[in-house]
Amino acid sequence: MESSKNNLQSSSSLTIGERLCAVVIPFIFLIEALIFTVSGCFDCRRPPRKHRFRFPDIAQVAKDTPFSVNEVEALHELFKKLSSSIIDDGFIHKEELQLALFRTPSGENLFLDRIFDLFDEKRNGVIEFDEFVHALSVFHPNTPLEEKINFAFRLYDLRQTGYIEREEVKQMVIAILLESEMHLSDELIEVIIDKTFADADADMDGKLSKEDWKAFAIRYPNLLKNMTLPYLKDITTVFPSFVFNTEVED
Amino acid sequence: MPSWNAAILSQADLPVDLTGSRLAMHNSSMKKPLEVVLSHQGYDGSAADVWSCGVILYVLIAGYLPFEETDLPTLYRKINAAEFACPPWFSPGVKSLINRILDPNPKTRIRIVEIKNDPWFRKNYLAVKHVEDETVNLDDVRAVFDDIEGKFVSEQSGGNEKGPLMMNAFEMITLSQGLNLSALFDRRQDYVKRQTRFVSRKPAKDIISSIEAVGISMGFKVHARNYKVRFEGISANKAGQFAVALEVYEVATALFMVDVRKAAGDTFEYHKFYKNFCSKLEHIIWRPAEGAANSSLLRRNLTC
Repeated sequence: MESSKNNLQSSSSLTIGERLCAVVIPFIFLIEALIFTVSGCFDCRRPPRKHRFRFPDIAQVAKDTPFSVNEVEALHELFKKLSSSIIDDGFIHKEELQLALFRTPSGENLFLDRIFDLFDEKRNGVIEFDEFVHALSVFHPNTPLEEKINFAFRLYDLRQTGYIEREEVKQMVIAILLESEMHLSDELIEVIIDKTFADADADMDGKLSKEDWKAFAIRYPNLLKNMTLPYLKDITTVFPSFVFNTEVED
Repeated sequence: MPSWNAAILSQADLPVDLTGSRLAMHNSSMKKPLEVVLSHQGYDGSAADVWSCGVILYVLIAGYLPFEETDLPTLYRKINAAEFACPPWFSPGVKSLINRILDPNPKTRIRIVEIKNDPWFRKNYLAVKHVEDETVNLDDVRAVFDDIEGKFVSEQSGGNEKGPLMMNAFEMITLSQGLNLSALFDRRQDYVKRQTRFVSRKPAKDIISSIEAVGISMGFKVHARNYKVRFEGISANKAGQFAVALEVYEVATALFMVDVRKAAGDTFEYHKFYKNFCSKLEHIIWRPAEGAANSSLLRRNLTC
């Protein structure tokens, strides 16, 4: 489909190109239809599912995470709810995450972008179910602090340079002020950052290394408060409808 | 109201899993006015509180609320028609008990005494010894219902007379809604859309006294401790509680941030409150001294 689109775009002024497309496109359609029906046959062999997207291998997803199989099933219920809120395609798009966190699908938020990017490990522009569970496992109350510290560091390292630079901190402070509809002069913002860096930047090089950040986060544990979601421990009570669909007796 | 539920439940020896003040708020917003004032000695139980216990019991077993609607008229209609369904894992015994509790008619509704005689209730029941003239200490219960989200900064040991808690740049950053994933699990529809906090350069003590004065003038009961203030009152429609939690933080020398959160009540009413609140605190809210063009822009976008 994409190649034919490219053809169209690059040869829109050439009649030869257009003729080529006219010949090629129906073939592409035919081939696609063929593949679709054939793969549809394979799908039929599995137990029929109400959901449009493929049933994920729950046990596989649950492996190496602090979640039990039943908990991953419950997370799947949450995932289905979130991923169908705007575009019902079995993936969480950025607007859907925005809608879930801000109750409105529009607007820009630096932190939402960062969270989305960290969840989207495969960098394909959407959050898939296994990425969803994998990222959420960092937020589980039982996950070691070290993992949360690392995740937070990656979150705030906006340009992924391995350091949290002062400009990045300034960008984030400006973003939270904007979000809070608080207005401060540039001078005051600098004062706030100065104070924080004086406290956090142990080697005084104008940026926070991973070690700087680790030591800082341990001294101020509430910095990592949002890295733990107590709800994850009781997820099976929040989304109990999985009980009817469960594949595995836990 | 919620504290009485907990007291009733604990007397009845049912497990009290108060997952969130959301349950308490659900109950307080739906509860019909108390018909009987609870007496100090033992609980005859007002019928309304019995009903609330029924909701809690349902949630403990089902994992979700028996009545949950996005609009109030439908919700009230369903409650009044007792239009709810018990999921299949409810035993017949508990189903019949819940049906008798969630009876919309307070006169025919089961009473506590009758609940105690119910066969399902009596299974494995260990009676709590009633102590005469027991003064019920509600501090624990109040602590549960206090805003558990309130602590954003590490409590440093000097927090008492020295001044407000310090908040560094990263602690400010973690206030963002974009970093608060608990919203993914929150099924309530009344999420506060706008952040409500402002900056002040007045001395911290002046900020606190101004806030307290405004709270009193707005008719709230004001509780203050260190640099945390709580306003408590009744909602405008007299149907439930309305409470706001405020806290002052120091973000830089002589620069303070006041974080305001809804602790109980209706979101719409909260936003109206906030607008009113800010208009009375103009004298302490700091605005950058930019040109006239900027400030008019600010005024258009801000209510605070």
